[in-house]
Amino acid sequence: MHPREGWQGHGMPRRSFLKGSVTAAALAALAGCASDLTGSGSVPLPRPDNPVTWPVFTGNGPVKSGLAPERDATLQIYTWVAYINQACVNAFAKKYKCKVQVTTFNTMDEAMSKLRSGLSYDLLIGATVDVLGQLIEGQLIQPLNHSYLPNIDQAWSDFTNPFYDQQWQYTVPYTIYTTGISWRKDLVHENPYTMANPWAMPWQPKYKGRVAILDDYREGISLGLMKNGLYDLNTTDYRQIGLARQSLQELVGLVNLRIDNNDYTEVPTGDTWIHTAWSGDMAAAASYMPKGVPVDVVGYWFPADGRGPVANDTNVILKSATNPVLAHQFLNYMLDLPNVLENISFNGYMQPMTGVTPQVLIKEQILPPSLISTVVTPAYFRRGIGELQLPVDADALWQQAWLVVSNGI
Amino acid sequence: MRNRKNAFWVALAAPGIIWLAVLFVVPVYAVLSIALGKLNQLYEAPVAVWNPLSWSSSNVINVWRDLFGSASFAGPVVVRTIVYVAVASLLSLVIGYPVAYFVARFAGRRKGLLLVLLIAPFWISYMMRMLAWIDLLSTGGYVNKALGWLGISPVNWLGGSSVTVVLGLVYGYIPYLILVLYAGLDRIDPALIEAGRDLGLGRARTFIHVTLPLSRQAILTGLLITVLPMLGDYFTNQMLSGAASTSMIGNLIQGQLGTPGLEAQGAVLSLLLLLVLLVPMVYYVIATNREATR
Repeated sequence: MHPREGWQGHGMPRRSFLKGSVTAAALAALAGCASDLTGSGSVPLPRPDNPVTWPVFTGNGPVKSGLAPERDATLQIYTWVAYINQACVNAFAKKYKCKVQVTTFNTMDEAMSKLRSGLSYDLLIGATVDVLGQLIEGQLIQPLNHSYLPNIDQAWSDFTNPFYDQQWQYTVPYTIYTTGISWRKDLVHENPYTMANPWAMPWQPKYKGRVAILDDYREGISLGLMKNGLYDLNTTDYRQIGLARQSLQELVGLVNLRIDNNDYTEVPTGDTWIHTAWSGDMAAAASYMPKGVPVDVVGYWFPADGRGPVANDTNVILKSATNPVLAHQFLNYMLDLPNVLENISFNGYMQPMTGVTPQVLIKEQILPPSLISTVVTPAYFRRGIGELQLPVDADALWQQAWLVVSNGI
Repeated sequence: MRNRKNAFWVALAAPGIIWLAVLFVVPVYAVLSIALGKLNQLYEAPVAVWNPLSWSSSNVINVWRDLFGSASFAGPVVVRTIVYVAVASLLSLVIGYPVAYFVARFAGRRKGLLLVLLIAPFWISYMMRMLAWIDLLSTGGYVNKALGWLGISPVNWLGGSSVTVVLGLVYGYIPYLILVLYAGLDRIDPALIEAGRDLGLGRARTFIHVTLPLSRQAILTGLLITVLPMLGDYFTNQMLSGAASTSMIGNLIQGQLGTPGLEAQGAVLSLLLLLVLLVPMVYYVIATNREATR
């Protein structure tokens, strides 16, 4: 899921889950009565060990090579709130003598609803990997023409053949981020780097009222899993999901848990002392420090062995694009190092480019040295655990468990 | 002739009926069609079913189980919501009534000014006011600074406190209550109060036996106007607490509406809330009619 908000495995004994836990209405709704379901439910689920090459549908091929960009065009960009630097947008518009209109959304769900309803844009910036199947199978996006995207050479090689889109037919990478734990070093005595199980750091009653976790069902339940030493963050095992839920319910009572996505403001201001956090959010912590408080008091932990949640967003061209060539040029522009750095300086989120290194980010004063742990390295990406699209029935279990936790039940 | 007269009055009602149809009946039917509709497996999105003959009851059954089943999980949220709203309404009444009474009876020439001050919060959006409270109540905010000057250690107001949520609800909705109470109290004929005094009642007994009964309708209306939005409120809680332990029914609905695959159940819960809210509305209509026929 996402910082800007949020296989058909072993058969799930649904009744056992219901018996051993609170009810699972969503499960019943989603997996219950077949007549209540419509559409195809057989979209492949990409995994690192099960890479997916998506089909290219007749009538939805890539734009031809060698075309001139559309003239007097207005490029329509659809993206998350505060996810792209307007300076980059303006510079592109100036360079390519066009207009650019940016429209924003707050959740991927909202974006998908609007795209399905027929709203027309050229580009979707920040599409999460878990909705790619829906975007492609629903023919909402079009394949890319690689000849317009030479700057892909600047990206990590992983992204010219990612497991979720083999041969990068539909996607170029956008941001990349980890999920870890941020804490106020001056207010919390423990240091996660020296703890036996840092994922259990929030479970400390002495910090009651000062602990928060991200408001995202995948991140939330994943925390519960990792606290229990379970690292399959795409599990469909009802017992594991139930265990994670129980741990989080315990946390709710233990610390009067708050659930929000304000990690980037609450930790710097000291209103929250321990918060699960997205690396890109914490990279921007310096902008939110109160007067007289140095940014060094904010810490961000992500396991040194890379065994934690890592995700990346993608940029795609919509099938409804009226300016597909210009859209390709914009994607290419956003893969060029100077523009990438300009963009990171605004939203804090790294992009997986070979030129974006911790040294460069510190030298360009984009990142304070004390928050170097927010940088995502290729090694982190390769060893990290993706929270990927789940089968519908398992997804329902995750959602229901989260609903129970987030309502303090 | 009579038919033409009737048609004239019906025509006068037409804009209101069209307004109601477009902005109430159609949206409610849309919510109903989603609540009793299907699920698109590819998008995990609800599919509205417009034909009542094809409606499915599975979402209703699931929500019913969540609320009242043997493993019900939404029950505590409902109870919490009722408690918060009851306490907040009572507090609003206790604070608002004297204010409205003062403005109506004793403000004299300053009545206009005081009314303007009462309406002033409406000039700023609710979200902005709540954001301002976040700043005021934060660890280093002015409220804690003021407490510090009094020698009181800082309070973690935003750490998921029920008190903060209830006070937030009171703050958010009390102006509505005061305005309604003021309108009711201002209409009371001062001669009736004077008559009570002339008949030997003290100030307190005059208030209890004359003013309070005469303002009963205003109290009922004011409470209705505040209780209804409070019951569906999710924003105050989200902004001032964010804690799981203070979650209200509005937050539960919002959570479902924002979760792929659960939107239809959110729609069912919204409709159930609407049905529950109809009860005080009906009571209000009956009470108003009874009052009018006296």
